[in-house]
Amino acid sequence: MTSGIRFDNVSVAYGGNTVLDSLDLTVEPGEVMALLGPSGSGKTTALRAVAGFVQPVSGRVFIGERDVTRLPPYRRGIGMVVQQYALFPHLRVEDNVAFGLKAQKAVKDEIPGRVAEALDMTGMASYAKRYPRELSGGQQQRVAIARALAIRPGVLLLDEPLSALDAQLRSGMLAELARLHRELPDVSILYVTHDQVEALTLADRIAVMDKARLQDCGTPQQLYRRPTTEFTASFVGNANLLPVTVGGEGAGVVSFAGTSLNVATGGATSGATATLCVRPHLVGLGEGPNALRGTVTEVQWRGATHRLYVDVGGHRLKADLRELRATPELGEEVTVHFAAEDAVLLGAGVSDG
Amino acid sequence: MRADHGPDRPVAAAPAGRPAGHHPERPSGAAPAGRPVGHRPARSAAEPHRPGRPAAKSPRAAPRWIWALPPVAVLALGFLYPLGLVVQQSFSPDEGGTSVEPSVEPYAEVFASEAFREALSTTVWLAVGATVGCLVLGFVLALVIAFVPFPGGKAVAKFIDVFLSFPSFLITLALLFIYGTVGMANGVWTDVTGAAEGPFHFLTTPWGVLLAEITYFTPFVMRPLLAAFSQLDTAQLEVASSLGAKPARIIRQVILPEALPALAAGGSLVLVMCLNEFGIVLFTGAKGVTTLPMLVYSKAILESDYPAACVVAVVNIAISVGLYSLYRVVSRRVGA
Amino acid sequence: MLVHSRTGKWAARALFLVLFVPLFALPLLVILAASFATNWSGAFPSGPTAGHYTSAVRGESLQALTTSLVTALAASLLALTAGSWAALAAAALKKNGKRVLDALFMLPVAVPSVVVGLAVLVAFSQPPMLLNGTRWIVILAHTVLVTAFAYQSVSAAILRLDPVYEQAAASLGARPSYVLWKVKLPLLLPSLNAAAGLCFALSMGELSATMMLYPPDWMPLPVQIFTATDRGSLFTGSAVAVVLMGTTLLVLLAVSRIRTRASFR
Repeated sequence: MTSGIRFDNVSVAYGGNTVLDSLDLTVEPGEVMALLGPSGSGKTTALRAVAGFVQPVSGRVFIGERDVTRLPPYRRGIGMVVQQYALFPHLRVEDNVAFGLKAQKAVKDEIPGRVAEALDMTGMASYAKRYPRELSGGQQQRVAIARALAIRPGVLLLDEPLSALDAQLRSGMLAELARLHRELPDVSILYVTHDQVEALTLADRIAVMDKARLQDCGTPQQLYRRPTTEFTASFVGNANLLPVTVGGEGAGVVSFAGTSLNVATGGATSGATATLCVRPHLVGLGEGPNALRGTVTEVQWRGATHRLYVDVGGHRLKADLRELRATPELGEEVTVHFAAEDAVLLGAGVSDG
Repeated sequence: MRADHGPDRPVAAAPAGRPAGHHPERPSGAAPAGRPVGHRPARSAAEPHRPGRPAAKSPRAAPRWIWALPPVAVLALGFLYPLGLVVQQSFSPDEGGTSVEPSVEPYAEVFASEAFREALSTTVWLAVGATVGCLVLGFVLALVIAFVPFPGGKAVAKFIDVFLSFPSFLITLALLFIYGTVGMANGVWTDVTGAAEGPFHFLTTPWGVLLAEITYFTPFVMRPLLAAFSQLDTAQLEVASSLGAKPARIIRQVILPEALPALAAGGSLVLVMCLNEFGIVLFTGAKGVTTLPMLVYSKAILESDYPAACVVAVVNIAISVGLYSLYRVVSRRVGA
Repeated sequence: MLVHSRTGKWAARALFLVLFVPLFALPLLVILAASFATNWSGAFPSGPTAGHYTSAVRGESLQALTTSLVTALAASLLALTAGSWAALAAAALKKNGKRVLDALFMLPVAVPSVVVGLAVLVAFSQPPMLLNGTRWIVILAHTVLVTAFAYQSVSAAILRLDPVYEQAAASLGARPSYVLWKVKLPLLLPSLNAAAGLCFALSMGELSATMMLYPPDWMPLPVQIFTATDRGSLFTGSAVAVVLMGTTLLVLLAVSRIRTRASFR
């Protein structure tokens, strides 16, 4: 029953155009893996390769111990939920949920029980007799999830399942999905999204995709607090990416726009150029450690916070500050700072970017 | 499309017609809010395998083209084989002579005959004339229906659909009552002027056929035009007229370019149908109007000259199929 | 929208009526009026009678009506089966295969109906397939003619069908045959219905090919109308024509009724 997913060097191309480039990725049994990336990054293609709707030009896809690369979708034993729900419009909710069971010739007497169970789990039991067109978007999505769960798949593929819902419903469904996963701890979930909040909330691990390639993979905490690439740093959360040169007045020092900053440099070679990642909400206004002086170029009020854009030696620095009583004027000279442990050095060791 | 009942139904739900899996990645969030036909060409210019179907690579599964064989076999038996026989017979001087050497003698004979050449030219000019008439009339009528709304406009569109499902010869039958020698128009004329007979005698001439063809085939132009007009953004017209453009200018510069593909597609379809029209000509009963299909009929049924009928048929097929291929190319290119 | 002034609007509407009514509405009205008349030599028909209808629904004409109905029903069912099958098979093929099938099945539209009639006559007048003189040759010719339209409309419907339904079904473990029966055909049902109506109407009015090959004991309505008018019985012909139009309309109406019930979206 428990089965993970394994991509073994999987490449997909359409007419010479590579849309997924040598993906190696393992989703452990019972794990929620989010595939996060912008559009065109190859994340949906990866999911469709697991489902069997695209054929890799090379590499193999495993579900559990089974090589499914050449299997048609209907023999892969997956559950899938897509953005457009794809409920069968000519079938009632209960028949939609029973569809997979009937298609796989489940024992007749078991079907009503399993349909009821799946509908209960998603809170749609009282809608069993309705047609999909009589349901709201959120309700349709719950039915789609119930339909995928009814066949008790070892692997659940979710393709942007919440992106057709409005913001409020989305956070509700997010909590719902998290609850479902707690109730079904054995099911591996591959969750494709372009929304970092969904990925950070739901995933045990996040695989960051860009330009048809896997860029980074790790737990949400790792990726957020200790990103290893500029792309991850900027795509998972917000980031100031400052070009710095390692070294200067001793170890643990980098220089940025003529200012020396104390940060953990690890084993970085002195003299190498690198990128320093500092989250905007960890930047403070006023004097402190690692102080930088610059002029305010823009102030945005965002309700709970103020976003300040500060020009430091020709580089733009973002600072998210708790709502300020008095906002600085445009062009005013200010000092901002951040703690050494809040900065991460990226790409160190590479002598030239 | 799905119904839109729930309060939380998002506006940005993906349209059902979207070729999912077509793009390696779908654009995040809202689907492209284009014209519904906008993505059709993209689908055909697509990746080699449609992702919708399982790639049945397992040894048990039969190749997909197996499933195309039964209908193709039926078509071959009922249509392609007979068509082939017609072509074969057109090259055999004597009827039913399967052992006779193929020769172009029947062609030479038919091409030499005055009747054939006249039928050919009549067919072509009637078809061209009717097509031009249908295009002009259809454009004007569709323009009014689409852009000068009036009560009953919907009913008119429905009426056109019904009209298309009736056979063509009914038009000629009706024209006999309206413009026949003792019909309505001549009756009114003699009543009003006291003349012995009315002025309308064109019904048994090619002009009668032309009128009937224009009447019958105009709706075939209007339908694609109305579809094209319904996709025209009315905001464009409003912007154009707010900028001071007069209706004639709007028609020329905004509507006409948008309608051209539909006009081209509808026009070539009508041209082919006019070339092939038989019922209208038959009902006119005019000895003076002979078109190619009429010639096929009279050679085969009235004169029992099958080789000649087959030759005319092959010529007719060549013209029609050539034009029809052109129509398919045009309509595919414009996605109509 | 296009014309803003009141007079302009009315002028456009007047132009429309002047063109539309005489050209399209009048012919049908004239046939209807003539079918109730015994004489028409002035502006209006005269000698109102329902006599043409009593003869139009008995004897020869009644037989022609049943002939047409049976032919149209048989031809449209056969054409729908062959056309849908071909369209479904074509949709599963790759680009080039689909092109070939498209061309093959659209060919009967381009070939003149008279020629289709001639070809069928030539091919089935000799053993081993001697159909000439039987009703089957008429039904066969009609089937060939309307299959193209069935193919075309079902193909268009398949193209409009969102592949997500098929994919959802496959991901739930349904094999292709199950997807076809339980998902694709039910979703295509409204279009199949419309295609059936179209085929029926076309077959009901088919004259060109029928003229080439109808046997004396299988004379459909259009031929009956032609022979009546050819004899000079224009008014009887009109009554039979009205019966033809009425029957076609009734069937189309019934079909669209079924269609609205079968459409889900």
